[in-house]
Amino acid sequence: MNGGPLIVQSDKTLLLEVDHELAEACRRAIAPFAELERAPEHMHTYRVTPLGLWNARAAGHDAEQVVDALVEYARYPVPHALLVDIAETMARYGRLALSKHPTHGLVLESSDRPVLEEVLRSKKIQPLVGERIDPDTVVVHPSERGQIKQALLKLGWPAEDLAGYVDGEAHRIALEEDGWALRPYQQQAVEGFWHGGSGVVVLPCGAGKTLVGAGSMAKAQATTLILVTNTVSARQWKHELVRRTSLTEEEIGEYSGTKKEIRPVTIATYQVITTKRKGVYPHLELFDSRDWGLIVYDEVHLLPAPVFKFTADLQARRRLGLTATLVREDGRESDVFSLIGPKRFDAPWKEIENQGYIAPADCVEVRVSLTDSERLAYATAEPEEKYRFCATTDSKRRVTEALVRRHAGEQTLVIGQYIDQLDELGEHIGAPVIKGDTSNAQREKLFDAFRAGELSCLVVSKVANFSIDLPEATVAIQVSGTFGSRQEEAQRLGRVLRPKADGHEARFYSVVARDTIDQDFAAHRQRFLAEQGYAYRIVDSVDLLGEPDEV
Amino acid sequence: MSSEQNGGSPSQPDAPPDAPASGPRTLAEDLRARDDSALAALLRARPDLLSPVPGDLTQLATRAGTRASVVRALEQLDQFTLQTAEALAVTPAAPPPSGGGRPRQGTTAVREALAELLPGEEAAERLPQALAELRARALVWGPAQHPRLLRTARELLTSPSPTGLGPALVEVVAAAGPAKPSPSRLQEMLARVGLPGTHDPVSALSALTALFNDSERMAALLAEAPEGAEAVLRKLEWGPPYGAVDLEAPSPPVAWLLDRALLVPTGAEPGGGQSAPGSVVLPREVALQLRGGRAHRVLEPTAPPVAVARTYQAPTVDATAAGQAMTAVATVEELLGRWEAEPPPVLRAGGLGVRDLKRTAAALDLPEPAAAFWIELAYAAGLVASDGEVDEAYAPTPAYDEWLRATPAERWATLVVAWYRATRTAGLVGEGHPALERGREWGKDARGRGPAPLGPGLDRSPAPEVRQRALRLLAELAPGSAPDRDTLRERLRWERPLLGNRAAARATEQGAADGGQELRTRLLNWALDEAETLGVTGRGALASYVRPLVDAEAEEPHGPRASQETDTTRAAVAQALAPHLPEPLSEVLLQADLTAVAPGPLERDLAAFLGVLADVESKGGATVYRFTPESVRRALDTGRTAADLHAFLDAHSSTPVPQPLTYLIDDVARRHGQLRVGAASSYVRCDDDALLAEILADRRSAPLRLRKLAPTVLASPAPPDQLLARLREMGYAPAAESAEGDVLLARAAAHRTPPRTAPEPVPEGPPAPDSALLTAAVRAIRAGDHAATLPLSAGPDRQAPWADRRKAPSAPPPEGGLPRTVMAETLATMQSATLSGTAVWIGYVNADGAASQRVIAPVKVEGGFVTGYDHTADEVRTYPLHRITGAAEVTEA
Repeated sequence: MNGGPLIVQSDKTLLLEVDHELAEACRRAIAPFAELERAPEHMHTYRVTPLGLWNARAAGHDAEQVVDALVEYARYPVPHALLVDIAETMARYGRLALSKHPTHGLVLESSDRPVLEEVLRSKKIQPLVGERIDPDTVVVHPSERGQIKQALLKLGWPAEDLAGYVDGEAHRIALEEDGWALRPYQQQAVEGFWHGGSGVVVLPCGAGKTLVGAGSMAKAQATTLILVTNTVSARQWKHELVRRTSLTEEEIGEYSGTKKEIRPVTIATYQVITTKRKGVYPHLELFDSRDWGLIVYDEVHLLPAPVFKFTADLQARRRLGLTATLVREDGRESDVFSLIGPKRFDAPWKEIENQGYIAPADCVEVRVSLTDSERLAYATAEPEEKYRFCATTDSKRRVTEALVRRHAGEQTLVIGQYIDQLDELGEHIGAPVIKGDTSNAQREKLFDAFRAGELSCLVVSKVANFSIDLPEATVAIQVSGTFGSRQEEAQRLGRVLRPKADGHEARFYSVVARDTIDQDFAAHRQRFLAEQGYAYRIVDSVDLLGEPDEV
Repeated sequence: MSSEQNGGSPSQPDAPPDAPASGPRTLAEDLRARDDSALAALLRARPDLLSPVPGDLTQLATRAGTRASVVRALEQLDQFTLQTAEALAVTPAAPPPSGGGRPRQGTTAVREALAELLPGEEAAERLPQALAELRARALVWGPAQHPRLLRTARELLTSPSPTGLGPALVEVVAAAGPAKPSPSRLQEMLARVGLPGTHDPVSALSALTALFNDSERMAALLAEAPEGAEAVLRKLEWGPPYGAVDLEAPSPPVAWLLDRALLVPTGAEPGGGQSAPGSVVLPREVALQLRGGRAHRVLEPTAPPVAVARTYQAPTVDATAAGQAMTAVATVEELLGRWEAEPPPVLRAGGLGVRDLKRTAAALDLPEPAAAFWIELAYAAGLVASDGEVDEAYAPTPAYDEWLRATPAERWATLVVAWYRATRTAGLVGEGHPALERGREWGKDARGRGPAPLGPGLDRSPAPEVRQRALRLLAELAPGSAPDRDTLRERLRWERPLLGNRAAARATEQGAADGGQELRTRLLNWALDEAETLGVTGRGALASYVRPLVDAEAEEPHGPRASQETDTTRAAVAQALAPHLPEPLSEVLLQADLTAVAPGPLERDLAAFLGVLADVESKGGATVYRFTPESVRRALDTGRTAADLHAFLDAHSSTPVPQPLTYLIDDVARRHGQLRVGAASSYVRCDDDALLAEILADRRSAPLRLRKLAPTVLASPAPPDQLLARLREMGYAPAAESAEGDVLLARAAAHRTPPRTAPEPVPEGPPAPDSALLTAAVRAIRAGDHAATLPLSAGPDRQAPWADRRKAPSAPPPEGGLPRTVMAETLATMQSATLSGTAVWIGYVNADGAASQRVIAPVKVEGGFVTGYDHTADEVRTYPLHRITGAAEVTEA
């Protein structure tokens, strides 16, 4: 027992005691190979997964370092079997490598012949490979570069991609750091990505992921395709790029439902490229329309499945993924790993908050007791209607209104899932509602007014979940959500985390109906935040408002 | 072979003739000359001689010479001592045939011959020690210059000799039987090798032997050998010394060798020899010449050293091992904690079923072989056993409860001491299971399975010795040194080359799943793996706290031990381990994400209750608990209140209790018990609560055990009809209520079955008479009527009670008694009566032996029965023919 801050569990989780004097050093030592799973106040939980270990290998760490880190910081002796397992798992990476052969083009090479024999016998691999050049080398068709990486990862023999990248069409891009500069962690993220070639940068919402993208573009000095979630987000990228880099309006194209511009830097929405007409994707040409040197995926955790398929064909181009969380509700983290690349940089939310780059937040769950008649109606509602019913009760509306009143004068967002509920709320509060059918022009107008402080309250539907930039929102009130989506919760919290001019603490309310399925979903959503270190307080609406719910 | 005896009689014929007068003449005499401590040493080394305690030294000597005992003793020898014994067994100094003359070695001491067989400086240095060892074990006796190997040992070590040497020339010839060379053939041989002829075969053989023993002359002889002869000899040089050649038409080199007795026919039938495995043998003397006098190809006078593969810091080793020790204790506790709730059944053939092993392994999150190890360990430590019920199952023993109360260090010590001495080997289970890929290599039962854990067939007697020797060797290394397994195995082989062979052979005989790899090697591998799993070693090096165990056992190696001694060892180990184990904690860290982390082992009570209040999410050095509404409810179900839970968390949290957790507990407590569930058979419902109160207060309602559930409802465990009846008795007018709440109309209970069909008749008597029968009956009645009108001619019928009611039959039997006719006549009478429809008199004896007369009108004679209308009884009856004494036609007057 050496009293270290780390406890290694038999299920391969690592518990890090944050108050320990060595905690920081230990965190740095284990961060390369362990994924931070939960970061509540005292004990952070990291998980060692094969993916994480391979991430570490890809980043140039070896098993010895991993084992040393564990042994050095562990409070109790590390089970030998675990160390052996780590070494064996890590040794699986790089036994196979994709590389460029001077005459045969893309080849799969092996430093361990039995492994090659094993994978070549797999039915999944057979159609992807060509002729065997010598006992250790087999030809791979360049177009199968992504598929074979995916398939090999599934077999547990991840291939190291040494085949390199095409440079793409050169284009001058420079950061214009006048009066601002990349923050240290952004700089590290850019370096980490560039060094690795391709990969994912994980930064919390509001931590300036756009700038990491811009920084990477400046490194690449090449034409860039940026894929974003929606049009608003596309505009913001454009706006930000014009402001922060040498790029001009004319150099940046928007490829969306309304515009189809292809310029040296093109920003496209996931929606438009995944549009399917008569069984084909008509906008796929975008990928081939230019010799892109860099492809940026915003919000990787939302990447729609077809994009993975297209990405598989783009393995020769540098790829940068940006996200706040690698948690995917569909569990396709391994596709992100094999197709976009391993995690190249990652900074915990709280740490960036401590550095003052994002605002601290006070999360409050407001429990609303339903009236007897509502409870009865809830009990008899059809199962598929239950959530909608309890999420949109009048009791909740009243509490929401009271909260808005209490924070009158502060920039407040009311976020919800159901349009009827939002319309009704908007009417009662007297605030404009932004929803799916609000035109983009109208949206931007409202956002501008909100930014300028002319409007202090906005009611938004889930269209605002992603990438809208509302710097001065200090209060967010969540009235309903997409069931138990953790990732949505993180996004919504992100709305209020941008640093405030006055350093004011942000408030994040979730209004939840007591003893209903709403409460269960809320618990599930909050777990993610609690694990990120944002502790929820739970308050009864009566206690909070100091008066009965009745108006 | 000599006829050495070990008896104490001074007139033993095999007393060595060349022994000095002062030397012992028998083993018994030799033993008699030893002092008490030497005898004690002998008995310690060969404890089997002690059961039962021999009466005297003669008996002791006899017993020491029994085959079983010698085999056991040889197993306890190290490689060099064994090689010494092997060499001694082939020394030409074997006692000469009784009655023989002075042996050739009369001048050369056996001791020197032995030294020649075991060349090398190291061997020479170690030889006295090896001989002393053999002597101490009473395998060797006699004077120092002429050590004599026990006869049984000599037999064991020469049939065949492990050195690969064949019998001496004299013995070969003697054993050759029909193939024995004739005297003339011997003379021929002498001539061939250039020796002068002799008078008799014995001296001829002596001359040949002397030649073979003389290296110079042999070299000269072999130099003349034709091409190919040497190759033949070299083939047999290192054994086995037998070869198969065509004796009828030997090839020239073989013929040359046979002519010079360098190869001797064994007389064995080709292919099926009874005395020797081949048709020719290389005599020992020749082989020794070829070998340059060495008895062994590889002589191993010194123990091969155990190489150190890696060296770790001693604290690292101890810490790693202690971590495993914690895991070991926790795993056994978890295993048995599971089994006490769901005891797995015992297979009919004994042992744990494959499915239960799988389930247990899955529950412990371990591979099956590992789970089998823990199960066997718990069994060896006496913590689990079969309960002996009708549906036999495995369950923790009372010793388990005691074990649970001990400190972790003591618990571990109990396990490890049990493991150290156990002969059960869980490793066999792992080998046998088809799940393992190499499965089929080992012999297995028909279904390809190895022995079941806890079942029979897992005991391997050499297991503890291998385990203990291995650990002792580890203990000899510098602290923190992890050995190279191969060298360790080599060393173990050197120390006890024969160990395990017997057990392996026995197991193979029993059809157990042995074979394949050498048992000893497998035992060693299991021992080392298990030691690591248990925390006896850390990273392959022996943990310092195990030394008390290894030392204690080293003093008195294996064998049953007094329990007191075991307790001392266990306490010493526990004491040594204790400082390496983390102190149990009394506080946990509570977090806002509704988890609690115990950053180390917790105090038992705390761990137990926290296990109820929260779900365990992750185990290891620390334990992570998660609070959920269900787990909090579980805690409330145990009778605790929310306040208790808050107090508990406050007391055991090193940080303030997070608000969401407090809220969770209050929230669950708020709803806990809101709904109440109970059982009742009937209820009383009434809108007037005063009336219900009245009923409740009435003493007559006491037997109904009414309980007020609500102001307007009473519940009772009595069935509704009783309740109704009693309430009516009390003067109330209750109405019954259906499940839907309707009033059930009171109707007299008219119970009905579900639809049923009437039973099919099962007629016993004759079927209903048909018209033919009826006609016959009528006719018979008439006939009877006629009969009644006949005048009485015989005396009164004493048998006929009907005489009162009607007149007696009017046709008495001829002699006044029963009618008597022979069967054939009876039958004929009956048949004609049937045809004619007339009545007959019959005499009938019923089942009770009572005789009577009857008048019947037979209708049917069939299958030995007569059916007819009995006028006497006025009904149709059936009589067995054999009961009818006779028949006579009723003659009408």
